[in-house]
Amino acid sequence: MLRFLIVTATVLGLALSAVGSAQAADSKQVYDFYCAQCHGTDGKGRGINVTKDFATDPRNLTSSSEMEKRSDEDLRGVIKDGGPSISKSALMPPWGATLTTDEVEGLVKYIRKLCDCKGK
Amino acid sequence: MRLLAVTVSIGAALLVMTAAPSYAAGGDAIFKKSCTGCHYTDGPAKEKTIADQLAKKGPELWYAGSKFQKDWLAAWLQNPKPIRPLKYNSLTDKNPGDHPKLSAGDAAAVTDFLMGLKSPEVKAGVIKPNESAQARNIFGKKAPCGGCHEYPVKGEVHGGKSGPSLVGASKRLNPDWVYAYLTNIKAFKPVRGMPDFASVLNKKDLASVAAYVAAFE
Ligand code: HEC
Ligand code: HEC
Ligand code: HEC
Repeated sequence: MLRFLIVTATVLGLALSAVGSAQAADSKQVYDFYCAQCHGTDGKGRGINVTKDFATDPRNLTSSSEMEKRSDEDLRGVIKDGGPSISKSALMPPWGATLTTDEVEGLVKYIRKLCDCKGK
Repeated sequence: MRLLAVTVSIGAALLVMTAAPSYAAGGDAIFKKSCTGCHYTDGPAKEKTIADQLAKKGPELWYAGSKFQKDWLAAWLQNPKPIRPLKYNSLTDKNPGDHPKLSAGDAAAVTDFLMGLKSPEVKAGVIKPNESAQARNIFGKKAPCGGCHEYPVKGEVHGGKSGPSLVGASKRLNPDWVYAYLTNIKAFKPVRGMPDFASVLNKKDLASVAAYVAAFE
């Protein structure tokens, strides 16, 4: 019985840690699917959509000097409600009706990794 | 024995019923043979995750009869020119423009089959193509449509590359489908790189931008 319990606990533990890393991987997948088209896979703001017609450059998300001016709450807000919600370009779309709360949370963490910075 | 007979006749009746939509000879058979490897035609939408979407080799066609204009479809299947600037599901590679081609006869049969695939989400006769200044402002300023889609300006192509090109939408897309898509995007594409605008723009704005897209030469 004890043995069985231990095995079960180990399997559970393994499963749980797998979920943890799957989430980190997921945020990259979410970013690459929704955001990289403008911000670029590397986050530098040169995605495939940024042609000569693109009036405002997408934020360079790797710039720690820019990104540390924003709190995590600021990032959540602009991702959900788009550029106009903070008086910025409407070229930054509103994703609130498209992404889940968890996905937005994952993106905030992912952006903090890209800029290697903390929010104000 | 009796049970068997009843079962068989119910079975036969069902067969007749499911075979009811009548396609021009062979359109569905041609499709099954040459196209199902990359396109699915049985709705509703199946995609639940990003991985589901990325696994697809071509766009879903289960509502093709509501989305496309018949003349465009028959012509495109014989001479398929790239619609998406980029390769399907890629943000780096150019569209190779290597879509399978059909003969005129096969294209007509497959067009009849595809035009029979309708979605109840699309109400007919709601949107008339119309270029208003108000809609131009939504498409290019208030919303980021032009950031992800190519669109025509006096014969020139402008705009972003990640979405399907909207150049020529007046010949390709059913205006009513464009509106249904903008107001109820999840019914058609639950997982896509385009944001859901239904709660961002009001119904009037969505209708006018649908009419605007539907007028693109
Ligand atoms: C259609 C192109 C486009 C897409 C897609 C896009 N963005 Fe943006 N984003 C922009 C532009 C343009 C700006 C700059 C707006 C400005 O400075 O006026 C921006 C700015 C931002 C900012 C900085 C806002 C600030 O405080 O200055 C963040 C954070 C951001 N985007 C995150 C994201 C995330 C996360 C995604 C994916 C869910 C995403 N963006 C998808 C175009 C885009
Ligand atoms: C190898 C995969 C593949 C096969 C096989 C294939 N298609 Fe496609 N199909 C695609 C891709 C990828 C696109 C997008 C092309 C583009 O954007 O230019 C596409 C686009 C289409 C479209 C336009 C859909 C839209 O939403 O823009 C139609 C209609 C279509 N295919 C019909 C067919 C038919 C009919 C056949 C069989 C004769 C077929 N396809 C076979 C991959 C395939
Ligand atoms: C962030 C990029 C992005 C923005 C912003 C965007 N779209 Fe899209 N759009 C896409 C993508 C990607 C698709 C294709 C989705 C798929 O098939 O998986 C698409 C599909 C479409 C289609 C269907 C085209 C077809 O042939 O299948 C229409 C119509 C359309 N968008 C109109 C609009 C309008 C109008 C706006 C502004 C209100 C807009 N889009 C904003 C990326 C975008």
